[in-house]
Amino acid sequence: MATGIKDRVAIIGMGCSVFGERWDRGADDLMIEAFEEAIADAGIDRAQIEAAWMGNALDDINIGNSALPLAHALRLQTIPVSRVENMCATGTEALRAAVYAVASGAIDFGLALGVEKLKDTGYGGLPLRTKGLANDLWMPYGSAPGTFAQLAGAYSARHALDGGDLKQAMAHVSWKSHQNGALHGKAHLRKAVEMDTILKAPMIADPLGLFDCCGVSDGAACAIVTTPEIAKSLGIDNPVTVKAIQLSASNGWEMGYGEWDGASVRNTQVAAGRAYAEAGIKDPRAEISLTEVHDCFSVTELVTMEDLGLSDPGRAPFDILDGKFDRGGAIPCQTDGGLKCFGHPVGASGLRMAYEVYNQLKGRAGERQLANVDFGLTHNLGGAPFNSVAAVSILGRLD
Amino acid sequence: MTQQPGAIVAVGGYLPLLRLDRAQAAKSLRHFGLGGRQAGYRAVGGWDEDAFTFAAEASRALVESPPSKIAFASTSAPFTDRSHAALLVDALALPRATRTADSAGTRRCAVSALLDALLGGEDSVVAAGERRPARAGSPSHLAYGDGGSAVRTGTDGAARLVGWASIAHDLLDSYASRGHETAYPSEERFVRDVATAAVIVPAIAEACATAGISPAEINAAAVHEPLGGMWKDIARKAGITAPNHASTLAERAGDLGAAHALFALGLALESARPGDLVLLAGFGSGCDALVFRVDARVPGAASVRDALGSGEATADYVRFLALTGNLDLDFGVRSEFEQKAQATVLERYGRDTIGFIGGRDSAGNVQFPKTPIPVRPGAGGREALEDVRLADLPAKVASVTADRLNFTPDPPFWFGLVQFDNGARILMEFTDASGPGFVVGDALGMRLRIKSVDKRRGMRTYFWKAAPAARPQLEA
Repeated sequence: MATGIKDRVAIIGMGCSVFGERWDRGADDLMIEAFEEAIADAGIDRAQIEAAWMGNALDDINIGNSALPLAHALRLQTIPVSRVENMCATGTEALRAAVYAVASGAIDFGLALGVEKLKDTGYGGLPLRTKGLANDLWMPYGSAPGTFAQLAGAYSARHALDGGDLKQAMAHVSWKSHQNGALHGKAHLRKAVEMDTILKAPMIADPLGLFDCCGVSDGAACAIVTTPEIAKSLGIDNPVTVKAIQLSASNGWEMGYGEWDGASVRNTQVAAGRAYAEAGIKDPRAEISLTEVHDCFSVTELVTMEDLGLSDPGRAPFDILDGKFDRGGAIPCQTDGGLKCFGHPVGASGLRMAYEVYNQLKGRAGERQLANVDFGLTHNLGGAPFNSVAAVSILGRLD
Repeated sequence: MTQQPGAIVAVGGYLPLLRLDRAQAAKSLRHFGLGGRQAGYRAVGGWDEDAFTFAAEASRALVESPPSKIAFASTSAPFTDRSHAALLVDALALPRATRTADSAGTRRCAVSALLDALLGGEDSVVAAGERRPARAGSPSHLAYGDGGSAVRTGTDGAARLVGWASIAHDLLDSYASRGHETAYPSEERFVRDVATAAVIVPAIAEACATAGISPAEINAAAVHEPLGGMWKDIARKAGITAPNHASTLAERAGDLGAAHALFALGLALESARPGDLVLLAGFGSGCDALVFRVDARVPGAASVRDALGSGEATADYVRFLALTGNLDLDFGVRSEFEQKAQATVLERYGRDTIGFIGGRDSAGNVQFPKTPIPVRPGAGGREALEDVRLADLPAKVASVTADRLNFTPDPPFWFGLVQFDNGARILMEFTDASGPGFVVGDALGMRLRIKSVDKRRGMRTYFWKAAPAARPQLEA
């Protein structure tokens, strides 16, 4: 009977590059920037890393396929390196691979690194790609905001919500993240923005305006993992441990079977339920100290609050407007600014979320530091609401 | 003649949503001394429509039972070596044993194909579509219209062929050629005089003679004029007093080229009562004139009239220029996306895609596309799905957005989840948004449209898009 990975793996070092429009840095620079911070944090020799996983979602932009770009950038000596890709959930997927390898006893030290060099596309937003030759015959080429904007209309219809109320709550999501991002020296967008500016921004995909959309960034983030026992032997008394990592993926039900109402993301609900069970979380609203969720668009964060069980169905807009998820609220969300302001280099985002939770657990979050942090949740969502991969992880301390 | 000529069983017509207000458009050309005095509307195809989609849309209601043969007629067909009639077989989900024919070469080709079908007593569909290129500022640019028409023939039908005549005459009123795709016109006065006297009137006279009637007995006409305003002279010289529905069509939607006469025939048949005589004449390198005696209301004729009366007027000349290929707008880097359709993939999935064929699983759930293991929750293994054509089934908007980020030649890019009443759910592009666009719950109908255009390789693919179930009515 599988018992899960709770407390079987410790994170002993994390690093994160500055996110943003890194015109002067290539993907290798970004990987090195994140790795150097992590290896120094871990206090081990790079030669001790036995296996590495590189998360990179868009191999057609700058990086190239396979994990060899990571091996080349860090000059890793003949250790196994593997690329993982699961759309925007790629970063968490890389962490999961390294964590599982350590938990299995196959290795003592593993490296998970996510990287994306998106600003070499030559235009804003994510690159437009084929969906596969057969799918291209019929499937629309909607943009990322276009796919997530569908949540808004369906959510309003399900909860008989006035479009204006939803827009106001969505604006608050972005307003809050700008407040937080302004406090992080590595964030892509570090400027607070007025509500009125957010509400009056140009429309990207109805009803998502410019400020409802996250930054598209260059960046890298990484984690070095080992066993709690080794962590203690390295002098880390109460290491950050992985309490749970769970994924759930669409099988076509949402977009191909007439049952889903489009107002929630089932994979988030399923992955969260499994993660709470794996971590032993009985009452998420009372036990989760903070969340870093996949706020690719403001409406995604709003719906995610309900899918994680942190708001009742139909109540997220009002909880948001009440400040429940603000930095000073009951369950702060995106204390580092989130995808919205810290930025979204796709393959790195899951690890960037873990980086903020890790720093909060270690009391290293500076101005953003929360008073009591026991469990932090990350939520990484790949694809579109109607065809997604959701990854939920929970981090805490060993004792 | 050894057998009784066939009859018209049903007719169909399709026009795109947009109608350019010609008078407004002419104002945009006034500075250049072009445009002239204009009236009426010009039907303008969407970026995702072409001669083939128009013909397919016009034919949809005519193939509830499959015909033995389908013919495609156009002078602006997108492919020069790929049978549009064979594509129609797939788009209309007809059996592959259906005989096919493609005709072109003159605006008259659709009427010629119809005459052949009638004389052969064939159970046939003649489908015409036209989206002719024209240069901005030319009279043709505003005079043309985009659209499609279709006629189902058989041995028995509501309108019997009672007389006909054909004249071949290489009258160079205008021509187009490879490398010169837009028609080059001759002097209008020359065309009016010679086309009337030497081509059209003699053909009509001969057709009436074979029918054993006097032209004065004609109750309704569908005579394709080479140029607007010729009917008065043609009618006077031919001895006809009936109205010409082809003139009305030209005024209200434009000259539909190869599709014009058959669309006008639908209008003429809609106006006819049992016992009436209806004249059809197609012009171009000669003339085919056909006389029908109407025995009953012709199925589909009312829908042809409705197609002419519905749509959305626009005075946006710049949008018109872009949609007709006369303005090469720079949509930026995002528009550089290329998509190559592979023949191998089309061979596996093309027929089901263009025919919009989904599948019903063992529990009755319908899905698109078909998959080896159904999407139904709990499906545990392979099932043989029963074909279900979704093109003609009602559906509603389940989720939607107007995407303003991704490239489309005519923004915004509407798309979302479509919920069919039979349970099928599909992520689709929407088209023909008018007014405020789409909201959750809106009723939808399916339209065959271009899915992708590969300009570099001269290729395009087709799929269905969701359009509002009803169109707005144009002001009379």
